[in-house]
Amino acid sequence: MNVVLKRKIEGMVAISLSTLAALFGLFWLVFILGDVLYNGISALNLDLFLNDPAPAGVDGGGLRNAFAGQLLITLFATLIGVPIGVLGGTFLAEYARGKGISKVIGVLSDIMVSVPSIVIGTFVYAILVRPLGHFNGWAGSIALAIIMIPVVLRTTEDMLSMVPWTLREAAFALGAPYYKVIIQVVYRGAASGILTGIILSIARVAGETAPLLFTSFNNAYFSVNMNQPVSSLTVTIFQYAMGPYDSWHTQAWAAAFVITVFVLILTIAGRLIIKWRYK
Amino acid sequence: MPETFEIEVNNLNFYYSGTVHALKKINLTIRKNAITALIGPSGCGKTTLLRCFNRMHDLYPKNLYEGEILFQGINILTPDTDLINLRSRIGMVFQKPTPFPMSVFDNVAYGLKLKGMKKRAELSENVEKALHHAALWDEVKDKLHSSAYDLSGGQQQRLVIARALAVNPEVLLFDEPTSALDPISTAKIEELSQTLKNDVTIIIVTHNMQQAARISDWTGFLMLGELIEFDSTQKMFTSPSIKLTEDYITGRFG
Ligand SMILES: Nc1ncnc2c1ncn2[C@@H]1O[C@H](COP(=O)(O)OP(=O)(O)O)[C@@H](O)[C@H]1O
Ligand SMILES: [Mg+2]
Repeated sequence: MNVVLKRKIEGMVAISLSTLAALFGLFWLVFILGDVLYNGISALNLDLFLNDPAPAGVDGGGLRNAFAGQLLITLFATLIGVPIGVLGGTFLAEYARGKGISKVIGVLSDIMVSVPSIVIGTFVYAILVRPLGHFNGWAGSIALAIIMIPVVLRTTEDMLSMVPWTLREAAFALGAPYYKVIIQVVYRGAASGILTGIILSIARVAGETAPLLFTSFNNAYFSVNMNQPVSSLTVTIFQYAMGPYDSWHTQAWAAAFVITVFVLILTIAGRLIIKWRYK
Repeated sequence: MPETFEIEVNNLNFYYSGTVHALKKINLTIRKNAITALIGPSGCGKTTLLRCFNRMHDLYPKNLYEGEILFQGINILTPDTDLINLRSRIGMVFQKPTPFPMSVFDNVAYGLKLKGMKKRAELSENVEKALHHAALWDEVKDKLHSSAYDLSGGQQQRLVIARALAVNPEVLLFDEPTSALDPISTAKIEELSQTLKNDVTIIIVTHNMQQAARISDWTGFLMLGELIEFDSTQKMFTSPSIKLTEDYITGRFG
């Protein structure tokens, strides 16, 4: 009887503590999201998307340069990171399946995922900014791509490994060479999972500031020249939020709102694809 | 005049990873346009033997064949054998249905496209022919472009057979093709095998002796990697010459 009571009490304590912890985390999440939504929506207006920044301290102007720059940097990061990640994951899951090298690369890539992004920023700074003598958009895209690669690589590997081996054998049995088996059968079976990984990896880098601060930096003017500094929303938020002007703070809220919604949509889309595929 | 065989297996030994001796000195002959069944307790090497005929073991490192398998008089165990060509002449159907994640049509067209067929009309014609051949056409003619996963298990298995038939193979290898199916689907596939043998030579692995007795013309009985007895199905199931075969067939073990 005593033992049962003791277990019950222990159970209650465990449930209460974990509920409290969950509520604590949830509180801050809702608080931050609410704050961003509240301050962000009221700061939104069309000018924000159509105009470039006004001179410092002058009211008005927009963040067209930062929106365009953010898209450009993210787009090129995706174009660089996704093929490398997908091909790498394919190598691990198919050609190096079960071999030592596959495990080594897998572990290294897991370590890469947890490397602070600022470290990647300074690394790219050292190889692509300093030698050139100026910040540039390519460096930003490459820094983001380096963050994406291990994420895409791991999801690709996992998704390919989930495709039953007999499916490959069935394709081989029809006389298909390995590369056709992979491209025509295995990729098809894993497509939605890989796509989800790609979307989530874009969501992951879209909110990064530190690696861009050291690479693409910022540009007060509208510029799509990737050889020059390119503006981005995250760096702009950082700069404007630290700045002394109220108009900057308002615009930083608006930019924070837009990027939060963008990342939220990507994340939800990624989850929905998983749900829809594996229902 | 000596009888000609579609396939002749001479002193075949097979070793998994170069060490596990799974087939021991197998000798047998496969007649053209006949159904040959391989029976025996599980783990005796039926699947292993079947997968030698299309060199499926080559997918994994260090697997080793010894002896020869003559397919229409030519040894297919030589290193210079063109496996892609071999596998388009000797098709295979697995235990669990293996439809590809694509439409019914694309599944059947897969092997044809591999062989370089591109014209839509030609593909359609051959896909329809193969589906008729596999007794599936009437059931899928209105859903050619929906996913193959929407079909029932039995339909999927016949789809896989249609896919194998589409490239006009000379031999079809079946590895327990009905063990994952209900009795009605099983009956359909058994019936199908009887019409198929007009066009192809069939080798079927089954752990179901009644099935072997029902559908095959020749039967081989394996145990522990050895071919114990090989004869006409009629003879094997009525008066086998080896005691072990009789014991197995009458259900005394296995
Ligand atoms: N990949 C493998 N590696 C090593 N041994 C194997 C492998 N596959 C099967 N075997 C062994 O070979 C023997 C024959 O297996 P198998 O041909 O699958 O039997 P069956 O199809 O008659 O049930 C068994 O003893 C099995 O353990
Ligand atoms: Mg087997």
